[in-house]
Amino acid sequence: MNQKRVRSAVRTSLVATAIFAAAVPLLLQAQEGGGRGGAGRAGGDGAAGRTGGGGGTDAPTTVNLGGGSSWRGVVPDGPVPRLPDGTVNLAGVWQGGGPSQNIAQGLARGETVPILPAAQQRMAARTVFDNTEALCLPAGVPRVPSNYPWRLVQSPTHSKATHIFMLFEGNIHSFRQIFMDGRAHPADLDPSWYGHSTGRWEGDTLVVDSVGFNDRGALDGAGHPRTTQLHVIERWTRKDLWHMVNNITIDDPGAYSRPFNVTFEATLRVGDELMEYICNENNQIGIAGGYAK
Amino acid sequence: MKAKHGLLTLGLALLCAAVPAGAHHGFSSEYDEKKPVEFKGVVTKLEWTNPHARFYIDVKDANGNVTNWNFELASLNSLRRNGWTQFSLKVGEVVTAKGYAALSGVPMANANSVTLADGRSLFAATNAPSVQQSPTAQP
Repeated sequence: MNQKRVRSAVRTSLVATAIFAAAVPLLLQAQEGGGRGGAGRAGGDGAAGRTGGGGGTDAPTTVNLGGGSSWRGVVPDGPVPRLPDGTVNLAGVWQGGGPSQNIAQGLARGETVPILPAAQQRMAARTVFDNTEALCLPAGVPRVPSNYPWRLVQSPTHSKATHIFMLFEGNIHSFRQIFMDGRAHPADLDPSWYGHSTGRWEGDTLVVDSVGFNDRGALDGAGHPRTTQLHVIERWTRKDLWHMVNNITIDDPGAYSRPFNVTFEATLRVGDELMEYICNENNQIGIAGGYAK
Repeated sequence: MKAKHGLLTLGLALLCAAVPAGAHHGFSSEYDEKKPVEFKGVVTKLEWTNPHARFYIDVKDANGNVTNWNFELASLNSLRRNGWTQFSLKVGEVVTAKGYAALSGVPMANANSVTLADGRSLFAATNAPSVQQSPTAQP
């Protein structure tokens, strides 16, 4: 690395730091129980993915931060953090990973959402008041994790988890809990916003199986409907320090003619912390749109 | 080693800086991207609240008529991450605000940027489709 580049990097860093003087400290070892300075270690099947959006070279790359935002620059490399027992460590503050805007954005090239006519009509009749996020109600699964920062917490923290929690800053302060202790879904679930989730490891991939949803909310911000028959399987794979891929299977015969797959990606927000966000404090939804409700 | 450390800090700083707009409600259901507005006016009120902060400015037209415009900002956490605090705007201060007008025709707008009296410009973290990235996120 040449000196000119270093000076340029330092200058830019100082500018960014000045602008965000009120922001949280930048921690190089932000990963609990893992990461560069923690218990993480290189090696193993999931080590150090130098993949398309990753870094590890001095060449600038573009990092997708979700929500249409991106950042271009030189990204430091890092291995996939692991717990002392070798399990992949997914803990940290993330952003993105779900279909916040339109689930079709996660389809493979040439694929379409196999929506049934009745569901299509329901989607077409949707108004701003059917957007649960706008009403400060839960966005639901799989719409979250979303473009609001969120934290993944594993319990216990330094060995294979029996519980995994996703703590959401938005759209409302809420959480998902994933049971990793081998239990099955109860047979008598009440329909709920986030459903009932069980998880297991398949190699280095966390597989989360969720059922028991209500028919409120939608799969995404575009309003693709969901019904009580919704079954969601998420496959979370941390491909490097910065990125976690979420391959989602949607199976909802009440709204879609066949199961379909979409893929989204979460990006690590090193040094960031969740902040307070009380959505319904002063919600004025509809006023600027001219709605009277 | 020092160089690599500096580079790492740079990357982390900018990754922290690049915060997308909060998208509590859809922009297109409330505002018209084809109606950009820009007003210079006097701040009359700041509502530092969720899900969206708001500020109000008195705008005088060529005939001397004053209209109070309501500019919607992003959520407090998005604003904070983009360098705002509750003290960034002060009542009585003259500012220039850019944004997109409300569909309903009322004097409301979704703010894009605000230029303060001292010339500083703050990104407003709007969720307008054409504005998807904080300028401060640029390396």
